[in-house]
Amino acid sequence: MATREVISSGNELSALAAKDAGCRFFGGYPITPSSEIMHEMSDLMPEVGGACIQMEDEIAGVAAAIGAGMSGVRTMTATSGPGISLKAENLGLAQMAEVPLVVVNVMRGGPSTGLPTRVSQGDVAQAKNPSHGDYKSITLCAGSLSECYTETVRAFNLADRFMQPVFVLLDETLGHMHGKAILPTEEDVAAGIVPRKQFDGPAEEYFPYECESDQPAVLNPMFKGYRYHFTGLHHDRRGFPTEEIETCRKLIQRLEDKVELHKDEIELNEEFFVDDAEILIVAYGSVSLAAKEAIRHLRAEGIKAGLFRPITLWPSPQDRMRELAARIPKVLCVELNIGQYRDEVQRATGRLDIDGLFKVNGRPISPYEIVNKVKEL
Amino acid sequence: MARTLMRFTGVGGQGVLLAGEIFAAAKIKTGGNGLKTATYTSQVRGGPTVVDITLDDEEIYYPYANDGEINFMLSVAQVSYDQFKRGVQEGGTIVVDPNLVKPTDEDRKKWKIFEIPIITIAKEEVGNVITQSVVALAIANTMQNAIDKETLVGTMLSKVPAKVHDVNKKAYELGEKYAKEALAK
Repeated sequence: MATREVISSGNELSALAAKDAGCRFFGGYPITPSSEIMHEMSDLMPEVGGACIQMEDEIAGVAAAIGAGMSGVRTMTATSGPGISLKAENLGLAQMAEVPLVVVNVMRGGPSTGLPTRVSQGDVAQAKNPSHGDYKSITLCAGSLSECYTETVRAFNLADRFMQPVFVLLDETLGHMHGKAILPTEEDVAAGIVPRKQFDGPAEEYFPYECESDQPAVLNPMFKGYRYHFTGLHHDRRGFPTEEIETCRKLIQRLEDKVELHKDEIELNEEFFVDDAEILIVAYGSVSLAAKEAIRHLRAEGIKAGLFRPITLWPSPQDRMRELAARIPKVLCVELNIGQYRDEVQRATGRLDIDGLFKVNGRPISPYEIVNKVKEL
Repeated sequence: MARTLMRFTGVGGQGVLLAGEIFAAAKIKTGGNGLKTATYTSQVRGGPTVVDITLDDEEIYYPYANDGEINFMLSVAQVSYDQFKRGVQEGGTIVVDPNLVKPTDEDRKKWKIFEIPIITIAKEEVGNVITQSVVALAIANTMQNAIDKETLVGTMLSKVPAKVHDVNKKAYELGEKYAKEALAK
């Protein structure tokens, strides 16, 4: 496949990816360290006939993006942890009403306003359940400049396939680092776009929420003659509120199953020197860069360390993690939080002896810290 | 070439970020790898800022400079100098603006310290204080011999508007001249 070389930052690449993936609306409110995404979108969207709007706050930003999604266009918002906290209610609405949307979260230190300019991975648990209720998060996590682009593209396609918000997690390091990215061509990205399904039968036979038990709603663009209703309440096949027992049960079970039963379409991982590994490092996002550098050093000293890097964090790659943990004696999770993903690794592998190297002071974990920790194990 | 690690430090608002981007881009243009990361505080202006630049022919994973491995540091603010100097390897090169940074006698034993009045050169000799990042770029490259001059200047000019090309070329030449003089001393 043809590629192109771009020199840019993670945030700018995420915006470029959105444009190339067919996004034509951005609604948001600038927040460090994600602001460059909105800045870039304010340049890119008008160039391709799209729109970028800075709303009065984070809540309105995501509300505008969801509105655009309801109307049928590919849409995006970008923020950081504090913004996700504010957007949570509307993200729940998008899950319930099945509105596709890409939400980029460039993680910074938390909780609350935390450390605005510093790196963190403290929003991993939040991305799994930002809103109350039962639904299944789809969360992708870029681990390089190139992936800031490719994972954003993938998020748009998954959002339309599964008809729900899809999170792309970057972190301050990735968002702001500046260097070379090898990207697919614009033509290849355009050719890979699979638009959301539409119903083209007679309007009176259109029931957007009447679908197979493992499939998403089929929401036609608005203003095209197909009438239906959006609500956060439990709803019937046309989207109107209902409390009918079976309809309610089926609806929520379907929100779970449409993702759970199709995980193979979502999961993506990288394995780095895993084949003969005696020590498995689990890391994602910018921390995986330090882990790779550490593995170079460890291997040079004859220590057989390898990296398992989930690119899709939610749903987690539990089967592969279980396989690897069954044969590799030592497993170490390295995270810029206090073990938010280690909890998942423990659950998935059934092992409670997973070691951790965690940091929460807003500073990156260096390769040497990982090398030293591995040697202690 | 082995890995080159450079660190530019100042305070928010001085424009040290651009120099890092130019270095990384120029290295990539020559077929290698370059990465720039910046660390800054939530203060809009006046907080210590550090830019790490990693240049290598091999793939670079970790984008920050490890403490004790930096070959070259340039500093135009005392607060940043104090905070980030420990990253420089023993015997490494540090360039400071003597009007803004006062190294200790101990520092002078540990590192090769050069004093070049970067801000004054930009303000008075080039005639535009904003060009200090280009003066710094020239000093760093002259001392480290990191990138072919033509490529670096070409990359720099591609990142600034055409109407300020001449003033930035002048800034580069002056930076180079002062760096050569400092090295000759």
